[in-house]
Amino acid sequence: MLITFLPLFLIFLCFGVPIFFAMLAAPGIILWLNGQERDIAFLYRNIYNGIDSFPLMAIPFFMLAGELMNRGGITLRLVNFAQVMMGHFRGGLAHVNILSSMLFAGLSGSAVADTSALGSMLIPAMEKNGYSRRFATAITAASSVIGPIIPPSGIMIIYAYVMGESVAALFLGGMIPGILVGVGLMLMTGYLARRHNFPVASERAPWKERGITASRAFFPLLTPIIILGGILGGVFTPTEASAVAVGYALIISMFVLKTMTFKDLPMVLTRACLTSTVVLLLVGAAIAFKAIVGLSHLPEILAGWVLSLSSDPLILLFLINLLLFIVGMFLDAGPAIIILGPILGPIFVDLGVHPVHFAIIMSVNLTVGLVTPPMGLVLFVASAVSGERVETIAKTILPFLAVEIIVIFLITYIPSISMFIPRFFGFVQ
Amino acid sequence: MTQNNQTELALPDGLYVRLVGILEKLISVILAICRKIAIVSLGLMVIIMLLQVFFRYVLNNSLAWPDEAARFCMLWMTGLMAPSAYRWGNFVAIDLVKNLVFKRLGDILILIILLLGLSVLIVALMQAERHVNSGWLFNSSSLKIPLQLIGQESIRVKLAWMYVSLPVGFLLMILVSVELILKKVHEVFDSSVNYGSPPDQISAIAE
Repeated sequence: MLITFLPLFLIFLCFGVPIFFAMLAAPGIILWLNGQERDIAFLYRNIYNGIDSFPLMAIPFFMLAGELMNRGGITLRLVNFAQVMMGHFRGGLAHVNILSSMLFAGLSGSAVADTSALGSMLIPAMEKNGYSRRFATAITAASSVIGPIIPPSGIMIIYAYVMGESVAALFLGGMIPGILVGVGLMLMTGYLARRHNFPVASERAPWKERGITASRAFFPLLTPIIILGGILGGVFTPTEASAVAVGYALIISMFVLKTMTFKDLPMVLTRACLTSTVVLLLVGAAIAFKAIVGLSHLPEILAGWVLSLSSDPLILLFLINLLLFIVGMFLDAGPAIIILGPILGPIFVDLGVHPVHFAIIMSVNLTVGLVTPPMGLVLFVASAVSGERVETIAKTILPFLAVEIIVIFLITYIPSISMFIPRFFGFVQ
Repeated sequence: MTQNNQTELALPDGLYVRLVGILEKLISVILAICRKIAIVSLGLMVIIMLLQVFFRYVLNNSLAWPDEAARFCMLWMTGLMAPSAYRWGNFVAIDLVKNLVFKRLGDILILIILLLGLSVLIVALMQAERHVNSGWLFNSSSLKIPLQLIGQESIRVKLAWMYVSLPVGFLLMILVSVELILKKVHEVFDSSVNYGSPPDQISAIAE
């Protein structure tokens, strides 16, 4: 009864066992009880082989590039650019916040980095401009989920690796959904701005000023173009693109914009090492876990159960969105993808959902989970950055969360939102 | 660090605390060295990868060794950074239950979790032994020590040098586990004791 590892795993998880240990202990204990000691060796080799991978190297590289970009000077340039473009609208700074998140998403693949970098700058600025702190914090948190949806994206690299999909296809698949979330949040902000008479941040900037600010943000904004252009043009693989992004970020932050010195380097490297090590170990454990999932025939058993609920993919997708949303409330997006991808992916692919489409549904849904209570990581970071209570932010964020849920359903039921760009560039048949 | 008069432990309190203190310092020193090597490995990964891009697309002459060398660095980075990540509480977990129950019960739960983690690490280390031993039988496909530069024959690197990266990490994590368990046992037995965070902790989130 190898399948009993799943309930054991869930019990471990609920009681707070670190996911890395839970993923190894649950199958390990069941294998041991079954007398399958040889498979424990198989479990270990899968951890090693899971980490020893070329495509996976993109994770430390993008983390490092994100850390390098997450310096005051570069963030400031992006915010200034967003301000001259959108500051003159009613609710100007709220729009600036959303646009900055979209721009920042092109440099980093993490919602937490986005919240901490933009929040520390924009929340005080919005307060000074007459917004309540809770609103400023809520819009920062809500818009930061765009970070891992618009490429580059840490969670999509993980998904692609664990599930054997193309990183480039997932990156491209996230573009329209990311923009949709941004536009949706702006529409909601526009509505709230008219209703509550939000302030205008600044006069409409003359084109000359827009040009100057754009040129100052030019180098940071070039990063996503280099990454995606390089991958699409066949110049480099996603892994090499991530290393090029590090080299580029290092040159512009140290020598062009001078936002960083050699003294800052050890701390930046340490942080990148720390965050990527945790993810790499998790991925290694996930590959081992996936092997046991395969041995236990869990997807087949689960598929039978899921199909007994309904055989209509549209209803099942609705149910799966509910499940992902609930999981997202308790678990960070990366680990959730690592755990659920191997279990749910095969079921829906068999039902005729395209793997890339399912990957995008899962990534967007679990990313939105980062801003839902009680365990939304971004909520905690936003609370730490602003000093506002998590409960208050969670309440104020509701209208924006509603927008994001609508976008999730649009993505789910209109596959071409995620599939158009990857198909256009020939990454998907 | 601790201020308690009565302890239910068999060991005299002063000695126990001193032993834990020595272990804490020892681990801090070892892990600080490991972190330095880990960040150098990450730096090397970047350099190696950029070198490959340069050779392939500018000089049109792809090198054989960078892929494997960069993976070598990544494995060692992971192995050497993992103990610090574990010690600083960066391993992802759902903390809900721990925070819901009262403190003593929460502490006992943490202790059980630490013991479970320790058992996983010990089993992993035992499994690793056979894996590493098999690595002495095989050469890396592209990594060589370039002794021809000093007039000798170059030596191929054994795969075991890559395989051993994770067990080194697991061994150090076992050491960290022992430290965390000793501290937690003391906290469970004496509620006035609080060891707090490790002395050298840094935040994974940028300010």
